[in-house]
Amino acid sequence: MPDQLINLIVDGVPVSVAPGTLVIEAAKQAGVLVPHYCYHPGLPVAGVCRMCLVEIEKAPKLQIACATTVTEGMVVKTQSAPAKDARKSVLEFLLINHPLDCPICDQAGECELQDFVFQEGRSGTRYGEYAKRFNPVEDFGPDVLYVPNRCILCTRCVRFMDDVAQEPVLNVSERGDRAYIGIHPEARLNHPWAGNVVDLCPVGSLLSKDFLHKARAWELDKTASICTGCSQGCSVTLDTRDEVVVRVRPRPNLDVNRYFICDHGRANYRWMNRGDRIEAPLVRRDGELHATDWDEAFARVLGILRGASGKAVALVSPGASTEALDLARRLLSAFEWTGAFQVVMGEEAPLPGVPNLALRAERAPNAKGAEQLGYTRDYAAAVKAAASAAVVLVLDDPDCPVETAGALIYAGTVLPPETACRAAQVVLPIANVAEEEGTFVNRDGRAQKYFQAKPAPGMARPAAWVLGELAAALGVAEAPR
Amino acid sequence: MTVTEEYRAVFAGKVLEELQGILAKYPTKQAALLPALWLVQRERGWISDRNMAEVGEVLGITPAYVKGVVTFYTMYHQHPVGRNFVQVCTTSPCNICGAEGVVKALLEQTGAKDAGATSPDGKWTIIEVECLGACGFATPILINDDFIENVTPDKVADLVKKYR
Amino acid sequence: MGYPNKPHLKETIVLSQHFGDADARTFKGWTKRGGYEALSQAFKMTPVEVIEVVKESGLRGRGGAGFPTGLKWSFMPKEKKKPHYLCVNADESEPGTFKDREIMRWTPHALLEGTAIAAHAIQAEIAYIYIRGEFTEPWTIMEKALAEANAANVFGKIKIVLHRGAGAYICGEETALMNSIEGKRGNPRIKPPFPAAAGLFGMPTTINNVETLTAVPHILKRGAAWYKGLCLSNPKSTGTKLFSVCGHVQRPGNYEVTMGFPLKDLLYEMCGGVPAGRTLKACIPGGSSVPILNREETERTLLDYEGCVAAGSMLGSGGVIVFDDSTDMVYQIMRLARFYAHESCAQCTQCREGTAWTTKIMERILAGQGKMQDLDLLLDLSENMTGKTICVLSDSCAAPVVSGIKKFKNEFEDYITGRRKPVMVA
Repeated sequence: MPDQLINLIVDGVPVSVAPGTLVIEAAKQAGVLVPHYCYHPGLPVAGVCRMCLVEIEKAPKLQIACATTVTEGMVVKTQSAPAKDARKSVLEFLLINHPLDCPICDQAGECELQDFVFQEGRSGTRYGEYAKRFNPVEDFGPDVLYVPNRCILCTRCVRFMDDVAQEPVLNVSERGDRAYIGIHPEARLNHPWAGNVVDLCPVGSLLSKDFLHKARAWELDKTASICTGCSQGCSVTLDTRDEVVVRVRPRPNLDVNRYFICDHGRANYRWMNRGDRIEAPLVRRDGELHATDWDEAFARVLGILRGASGKAVALVSPGASTEALDLARRLLSAFEWTGAFQVVMGEEAPLPGVPNLALRAERAPNAKGAEQLGYTRDYAAAVKAAASAAVVLVLDDPDCPVETAGALIYAGTVLPPETACRAAQVVLPIANVAEEEGTFVNRDGRAQKYFQAKPAPGMARPAAWVLGELAAALGVAEAPR
Repeated sequence: MTVTEEYRAVFAGKVLEELQGILAKYPTKQAALLPALWLVQRERGWISDRNMAEVGEVLGITPAYVKGVVTFYTMYHQHPVGRNFVQVCTTSPCNICGAEGVVKALLEQTGAKDAGATSPDGKWTIIEVECLGACGFATPILINDDFIENVTPDKVADLVKKYR
Repeated sequence: MGYPNKPHLKETIVLSQHFGDADARTFKGWTKRGGYEALSQAFKMTPVEVIEVVKESGLRGRGGAGFPTGLKWSFMPKEKKKPHYLCVNADESEPGTFKDREIMRWTPHALLEGTAIAAHAIQAEIAYIYIRGEFTEPWTIMEKALAEANAANVFGKIKIVLHRGAGAYICGEETALMNSIEGKRGNPRIKPPFPAAAGLFGMPTTINNVETLTAVPHILKRGAAWYKGLCLSNPKSTGTKLFSVCGHVQRPGNYEVTMGFPLKDLLYEMCGGVPAGRTLKACIPGGSSVPILNREETERTLLDYEGCVAAGSMLGSGGVIVFDDSTDMVYQIMRLARFYAHESCAQCTQCREGTAWTTKIMERILAGQGKMQDLDLLLDLSENMTGKTICVLSDSCAAPVVSGIKKFKNEFEDYITGRRKPVMVA
C-alpha cells in the first residue's frame, strides 16, 4: 500500500506529492520553478543563498522552499509581493560585489544569476559609489579556474567535494563579505570527478580551462548522447558549435549518473572532431586502394561474401553501436563465425556519494552490448584465427594487427598510414558516435540511446546503415530505413 | 612553496599526550580541532599552512578543512605577530568611553604605527577587536593572555613600559 | 550587587551575592557558603521533577531570547535512547553585556552546580561549557574550580568539559555553538531539525546561558514559589536579572534587580546617572541587537521581557548601554554596523552583503557624502535584512539602524546637509 500523498496548493495549482517532499520540488510539479542557487537535487540542502524564499500561508515569516517539507493543505505563494520583494533584494545584494563581467564571462547565456535578475531583479543598482570586492583569479587544479569576484558563495562546490566526491579539498575561507572559496595551498582539485563543480557553479566563478573563451552558450547546439569513455554509460550532452564538438556535460539520469560525469569522460571529445577521416569508400584495384562510390564498394563486398565460404572472423570495436554489431554478425551468418573485441583497461574511480557510479576499468561504452551479441574477449585467439579465415571484417578497430589469407573488409572512421588494415580489399567509411544515432548497452545491461550531434564528413555513413544495406542485399536483415 | 628546513612536528611528546587527553573528551576526532589549533598557537606562536596539514593528519581531516576553520576564527594567527599581541576593544560601549584614544596612544608609544602592523623592534602588534565582554570596565585590552581592564590613554605609558 | 561598586539597597541580590569575594571561588569557600546543597537535592529528585520545579518558577533564558527554561528542558526526549548533551553558552559577546564573565570570575562553582543540575534534568552525561577565547581569566578560574569539584566528586556520572572558543560572536548562536564544538566553522544551522531532536553530534541537546543556569540552584533550594514571587510587573517575567550597565554612567557595573524594575531608577539612582553636566540622550537596554530607546522611552521602561517590548525595544541580554548628549549617534550606529559586518558568518546573502553595505553607507554619511535618499535606502536594506535569514545577526544589524534613523534623524540630516562637519574620510 503506497504512502498517502500530501496535497498542497502552489500558486493556485493543486499538487499531490509523497510525504517528505521539499516545497521546491513540489512546486516543479505545479510547473513553478522557484528561483534558487544553493539548492541542488544531487547535493545536501544548505539553505544559505536565501533565493528561494516563498510565502506560505499561516507561517509568520517567509520560508525557504528548499528546506521546507510539504504538509497537508499547505498553501504556497511564490509570486506574492513579499516573496518577490525578498527575492529581488537577494539579487540586489548578490550584485553589489558581483562584477559586470557578462561580456567576458563564459557563463553568459547559461547563467542563473543573469536569468533570475532578468526575471525578478531590479532594473538598476543602488550600489553606485563603491568599489567591488576584488580577489585575483586562482588556478585550482588540472581543469578548474576559480574567479572569486564572481562567486556568490552558494557552496555547491564545497558540498559536492565534501559529500559526493568525499574528498573535502575545498572550503569556505574567512568570514562575512571577505569570504571566498579556498583550497589548501598544497592541494589540487584533481579528483577524478572534480570537473562537476564547474557545471554546479550557477555563475561563472568556477570555469573549465578546457572550455575557457571557446564558445558562447547561445552559439551551442545541444544533443543528447551517451559517454564513450567507459562502460558506465553516463548520460551526457554534446555541445557543438559550427558542427564541432566543443564540450561534454552531464545530462541528468537518476538511474545511472544522476547529475555528474567524470573528468575522463568530460575530456573525451576531441577525437570526435578528428580531421583525418576516411571520407569515401575505397576498393582495391591493381594492388592499390582507390576512392569510389557506395555502389561499387557494396558490390565488391557482396561479391566477396557470396563468393567465400568457411570461417569468418569479425574483429570489432567495443565502441561500435549495438545495431552495427548486430548487423556485422548477421552479415557473416553464412560462415563459421568468430567475433571478438578488446577493451582498453584503466583505473576505476568511483564517485562515493552516488551508488553504483564510477569511471569503470573498461574504457569502452558497449563491451556488454558486444558480449550480449556473442562477441568474446578472446581477441588474441580471434586474430590468430583470422589468419586462415575466408573473410575478416574489422569494425572500427584501426590498430588491429590482423593478417589474413582471406578477404579483409575494413569499416572504420580512420585508417592511419602504418596500420595493418591498409591491406583491406574494401574500406567503408563510417560515422563516429557524434555523427549517428545508436544504442550502447552499459555494464549493468542498460540499453541507452544516443543521438546525432553533427554531420559525418564526406561520404561517411553510420555503420548500421552501411552494414544494414549489405545485410539486406544478402537477405539476412531488413533494409535500413 | 618550498621549505628548506625540515618540518618539526608540533604533536610529539608531551604535546601529543595533551592532545590525546583532549580527544578523550569528545566523541569525534574532529571536535578536538579548535583545542588542537590552540595548542599549535601556544607552541609556535602562530599557525602555518604546514601546521594545518599536520593537524589534519593527526585528526583525520583534510588540510583544506582545517584552513576553512582557522580562517573563520579571528583569534588564530596565520602569520607571526609581535611578542606582545594587543587586542583593544573599540565597539560602541567602549568607543563612547574613549577606546579609540587608547588605540592611538598604544600605536604611538609602541612604534607600531598602524593597526595590524608589527612594530620595528618586533615586540608589538596592536589590533582593534570587537566587544571583549567587559564593557563596564572600559576600555579592556588583552595583551597576549593578560586581560587588563579600565585602560585609559594616560595609563598606556606604564603598560607599555611593563610589557616591553 | 552593582559590582565593582558597592551593593545598592534597591538591588535584589541572589546571583551576585559573592561577587568580589575571592574565597567564594574555592570549593571549600563555596561549600561553606551553602554551595552544592542544591545539587545533592537535585540528585534525589527525578529529572521530570526537576523540570517541573524550574517550569513553575517561570525562569526564562537570560542569554537574550527569553525562552522559558523549564519548557526548553522538557523538549528533550523523556525516554533516553541516545546520548544527551548540555551546552552552556559562555560565549558572551553581545556588546554591552558583561554579566556571564562576572559569574564565572566570582562564582564559578555556582555555574558548575547549575550545569550539573541541568544535565541531570535533561539526562545528559556530558555538559560542554563553551567559553569565548578572549575570556582568559574566567577560563583559568573555571579550570581550577572544575578540577577542585571533580576531586570532590560532586557531579556523580555527569562529566563537565570546558571548551575554548576562538573569536567569533556568531558562536553565541545556539546552533553555531554546536558546530563550533564539533570542530567546524561556526555557521548557524537551519532549523528544523531543532537541537532537542538532533543537536550536538546529531544527538538531543539543550543549550542554556550561564546566567540562566546559575539561577537554578537557588530555585531548587528556595523553591519555585519564591522565584515566581520575585516579580514587579508582568507575571510572565519572574526572578532577578543581572543588568550590565556601561557607557556614559557614573558607576558602570552589573546590577541585580527584580524583573520589572524601572530602568530609570537603575540608571539614575543606582548608577548615579550620566556624568556631571550632561543629559541622557539614548539607551539600549538589552545589548546592541535591540532597538535604541530615546530619553523619554528610557525613562518609562520597566525592565522585563514585556516591559521592554512595550517601550519599543527588547530585554535581550540585559546589556544596558547608556549614551549621553555628547554622543555622536550616527558614528556609534556606524560602529555597531561595522561590528555586525565583521562578525557575519557569510552564509546568508542578505547578512553577508547587507551588513557590509550598511556600514559603507554609514561611513559615507559620516564622511560628508551622504544624501537624503540614503536614509530611505538604509531603511529598505534593513527591512530586506530582517526575518529572511538563518539566524538573527542580520536582523540585529538592522535594529540600531532603523531605530537610530527613526529617533535621531536630525543627527543624520546634520551630516547630510553639512551642518555637521565630516568625521571620517571616504
